Amino acid sequence: MSALGRILLVEDDPNDVELTLTALEDYHLANEVVIARDGAEALDYLYRRGAYADRANGSPAVLLLDLKLPRVDGLEVLQQIKGDEKLKVIPVVVLTSSREERDMVASYRLGVNAYVVKPVDFHEFVNAIKELGVFWAIVNEPPPGSIKRPGA
Amino acid sequence: MDQANLDGKRAAEPRTPESTPLSAFQRYGLSVLGVSLAVCLALLLQQLHFRDVEVPLLFFALAVAAWYGGVGAAILGWALSCIGFDFFFVEPLYSLSIEPFEIPYFVVFALFAGLVTWFSTVRRRVERELRQARDDLEKRSAELAASNKELEAFAYSVSHDLRAPLRHMAGFSELLQKNSAQALDGKSKRYIGVILESAKRMGALIDDLLSFSRIGRSETNKAAVNLGQLVEEALSEVRRDLRDHKIVWKIDKLPAAYGDRAMLRLALVNLISNAVKFTRTRSPAEIQIGQMPASDDQVIIFVRDNGVGFDMKYVGKLFGVFQRLHSGEAFEGTGIGLATVQRIAHRHGGKAWGEGAVDQGATFYLSISKSKQINL
Repeated sequence: MSALGRILLVEDDPNDVELTLTALEDYHLANEVVIARDGAEALDYLYRRGAYADRANGSPAVLLLDLKLPRVDGLEVLQQIKGDEKLKVIPVVVLTSSREERDMVASYRLGVNAYVVKPVDFHEFVNAIKELGVFWAIVNEPPPGSIKRPGA
Repeated sequence: MDQANLDGKRAAEPRTPESTPLSAFQRYGLSVLGVSLAVCLALLLQQLHFRDVEVPLLFFALAVAAWYGGVGAAILGWALSCIGFDFFFVEPLYSLSIEPFEIPYFVVFALFAGLVTWFSTVRRRVERELRQARDDLEKRSAELAASNKELEAFAYSVSHDLRAPLRHMAGFSELLQKNSAQALDGKSKRYIGVILESAKRMGALIDDLLSFSRIGRSETNKAAVNLGQLVEEALSEVRRDLRDHKIVWKIDKLPAAYGDRAMLRLALVNLISNAVKFTRTRSPAEIQIGQMPASDDQVIIFVRDNGVGFDMKYVGKLFGVFQRLHSGEAFEGTGIGLATVQRIAHRHGGKAWGEGAVDQGATFYLSISKSKQINL
């Protein structure tokens, strides 16, 4: 394996966070996950401000974004990222419970890189998360300036 | 849209001229002006040697006053017409003495004014009723739009918020099963199995219910559809889950129809997979898909099977949401399939119905309007 990209997981539900991390652990991807509890926190991380003012430079290799979030919701985060010259190169994957068409259409309009509906079935969920993690954090070459650490 | 918004919208609407009632001054003014003009014009024409023009002109003035001014204006107009007629046009001129031969004129003036007033009143009443009906309709449609919107918001939050806890139930039960496999006895493992199964079932229920509600609220996208091809597509979807269930298919030639392709496909998939499901105990299972003799305005297709059938006593329950005639143990399902089919039929100006008998198979019919005008 070449290198592991950092994953920014934007998810307000602790249960979902735990399940997602469990799924990513199998590929030792969980250590590289940064968790933001809402859209505002995610933007703070990306802009290195607030609680993240002191973090090292670099963008995540991928952003896993829930849509229904407190304070700043997922679509707003997406709009902000894709509207920002510096941030818009970061791949964003919407990871949501809803199969609603209008969310999907809105996300693609805003330039999302992938749209994944979280399956109810656990095995399917784990598989989906693993595939996402492997693809975006390992297989995919992220844009220059992303955080990667040498892999195992 | 809330009520305040609605009222605001109506107030802002430009009022049609008919709906603005004239003030009393305007109405009586109309009579005075109309009759005066008629008299002046008649006098003028008389100077030009036109004879007997005063009566038609006064009639005209009366008609205008009565039509636009109502009862009061008509009475005033009538009185003025009589005076004008008597004063200017009847010998002796320029005196108000009334001759007996004038009386029929006055009566005819009165009758004419009365008639026009009556017409005008009727017209006004009809207009008011129409306006009332229109306002009611507007209000109703605004209410409908509001409740539709509410329903949409409801479906949206169901789709977002009901799935998450379900996923957690399934996920953590699965983790429990995996991590504590040794510590759990057979009974506990079965309990966890039931939890998982239920979560899965509820997931299917939510998905079905959402797709059912989506059929009600999404726009239909209609075009010419080849039903034969659609059946082929539906079949290939259904056949994927057939495994070792042997079925003898008999598929007749099907006509073209006019409708929403995705919806009709869903209806066919539901009907066919029902037939497959309820013939599971048959060997060989036979399923026929065909069309009824075409009528002028509807295409009717049917799906017939030799499965377990149903008691016609319960036929009314077949198409209800969550209505099931078989236990979940015997035949799985959420009880939304036929309700979905019915809703799709309704949106195509048709209906769905079934016939059957216990243990003697069932036939389900789906009719679709041939008209391209139907847009429900």
